[in-house]
Amino acid sequence: MTAPLLEVTAPPLLELETVSRVYGEEVEVYALREVSLQILPGELMSIVGPSGSGKSTMLGLLGILDHPTSGTVRVAGQDVSGLDDATRSRVRGDAIGFVFQQFHLIPHLTALGNVETALLYRDIRPKDRRERAYAALDRLGLGQRAGHRPVQMSGGEQQRVALARAIVTEPLMVLADEPTGALDSANAAHVLEIFEGLQSPERAVVMVTHDLTVADTARRKVSMRDGRIVADERRGLPGPGGGR
Amino acid sequence: MSRSQDLVGVAWAGLRARKVRTMMIMLGPVIGVAAMVSAVGLTESAKGALQAQLAQLGTNLIVAQAGSSFGSQNPTLPANAVERVENISTVTSAAATANLSGVIALPIQGASTYYQAFPVPVRAAGDDLPSVLGVSLTNGRWLNASDTSLHLHSVVLGEGIAKQYGYLPGETRTIQLNGKNFGVVGVLDSVPLDPTLDNAAFVTEWAAKHLLGTNGRPNQLYIRALTGTTTATAKAVPTAVNLGGTVQVSTQVPSDALKAQSQANKTLQEVALLAGLLALTVGGIGIANVMSISVIQRSAEIGIRRAVGHSRSTVGAQFLLESLFVGILGGLVGAVLGILVVYGVSALAGWVTVIAYAEVPVWMGLALLVSVVAGLYPSIKAARLEPLETLRLG
Repeated sequence: MTAPLLEVTAPPLLELETVSRVYGEEVEVYALREVSLQILPGELMSIVGPSGSGKSTMLGLLGILDHPTSGTVRVAGQDVSGLDDATRSRVRGDAIGFVFQQFHLIPHLTALGNVETALLYRDIRPKDRRERAYAALDRLGLGQRAGHRPVQMSGGEQQRVALARAIVTEPLMVLADEPTGALDSANAAHVLEIFEGLQSPERAVVMVTHDLTVADTARRKVSMRDGRIVADERRGLPGPGGGR
Repeated sequence: MSRSQDLVGVAWAGLRARKVRTMMIMLGPVIGVAAMVSAVGLTESAKGALQAQLAQLGTNLIVAQAGSSFGSQNPTLPANAVERVENISTVTSAAATANLSGVIALPIQGASTYYQAFPVPVRAAGDDLPSVLGVSLTNGRWLNASDTSLHLHSVVLGEGIAKQYGYLPGETRTIQLNGKNFGVVGVLDSVPLDPTLDNAAFVTEWAAKHLLGTNGRPNQLYIRALTGTTTATAKAVPTAVNLGGTVQVSTQVPSDALKAQSQANKTLQEVALLAGLLALTVGGIGIANVMSISVIQRSAEIGIRRAVGHSRSTVGAQFLLESLFVGILGGLVGAVLGILVVYGVSALAGWVTVIAYAEVPVWMGLALLVSVVAGLYPSIKAARLEPLETLRLG
């Protein structure tokens, strides 16, 4: 693995610049307050904080699922706030792979079908799509399970299918929301191991969690409280990265 | 390959995953289209049968009936009424029958109580009645000149009465008229233009006078007019028969009743069409309802699709396409079902199957339209769903 020091100079994959997110109209509630964060290629990062600290909002903004009330969100240097839904969806599909606590596999599709979902509407031939999806499953040791439906698989296997779905598009960033929350410790450890494996010089892995033990497995840990980033630590390296 | 192909695959998989639900919401378009196709098909087939019948029977038959004048139980026409109407230039042929009131017909001895209570009408008829009516005999022969000249005790049965008597084709059968034996020589085919003839027994005018003791004066005339002059001829008949006398004559053109019947079927067809439309509409509401619930149930699926990069419009299109498929499939199944119903009923009723194939795509299109409109709201709802809310618990 490449040392993080060498990558600091690379342009950020994803960047929040003084981003605020306010909910409500009459009574304004600040979910995020002028947060700035840069996610660099090759990072394995955790965003940790208690309930109500703004993690969820952060996830929506980092995943381009939500619009900031103020501030700028850039993906690979491009401001995504002004884009229409179709383009934002395209950027999201290309740049980000999601993993959720509840796996969120589509129940009526097989493992292969679920992974293929991420490759739809991209003008990929069905045969190529199946091959790529199978390769992603195989990479996570699920080649044998490609034809199984989610109900036929264990939690750990389902989460690995979700991981395969997240990486099949070769995204810049894997964004995971409490990825081990629904798993027992053995499976959780296995999934975290995979996360480390997913990270590459070009790709960042970001885990949003309230679990400090999970958060501590990452080399960069961003702590949140009351809609602000209160700490941004790199293991072995002191001081803030892109946070405030 | 292309995006639309992906979309079709996704929508199809969505429908297949919930087969029972899909079949349930398909019922609306199925029943609607089947109702409309069969409504039009059945009424057209029935009408086709009527029209074929009309073409065969002709629309130029006039039935003239002696009107009931005061003091007369059994109004009659002049004995030479046939000659009188044949003087009308537009009349091509005519035949008379006489009701022989008071004559009791018995199929077997000892059955008198029943047949006195429900007497079989006996009529005297001339040689040419079948030819004027345009019907043949299912069996045997009609009364002829030899029956009169040889003073034969011959009787011809109407089709209904032959059935009632259990008369077998070719059977040598003797029935009794006022206690006298008469041999059955034939069975007259059913007369759609005057069904009362089906339940009558026919004897010669000679037998009516000399064996059954009636005056044999005719009561009804069956008249054929030149094509296109039927109405005018029917108007001329009473005057021609009456010739200044006191006889009242009423005329009717029985084919008019059949025409009216086909008009009545038109009304039935409209009612059935309306019912079909209603089924479609209610089916559409069903689709909207079920799809709306489905969007809520599948919110996680929608969320994940949005997360992996499917746009709002793609997700909306996916759900709209599911409705569209329900409409296409439902319409198709309904059309096939409707056509089968028309074929089945027509076969049972002995009609010539008429299916308005040109209209079938219209009904199917209507089912499609209803389904798409019904799917519109759920699709918009699906497109507007905020993915983050459905994906993140807590």
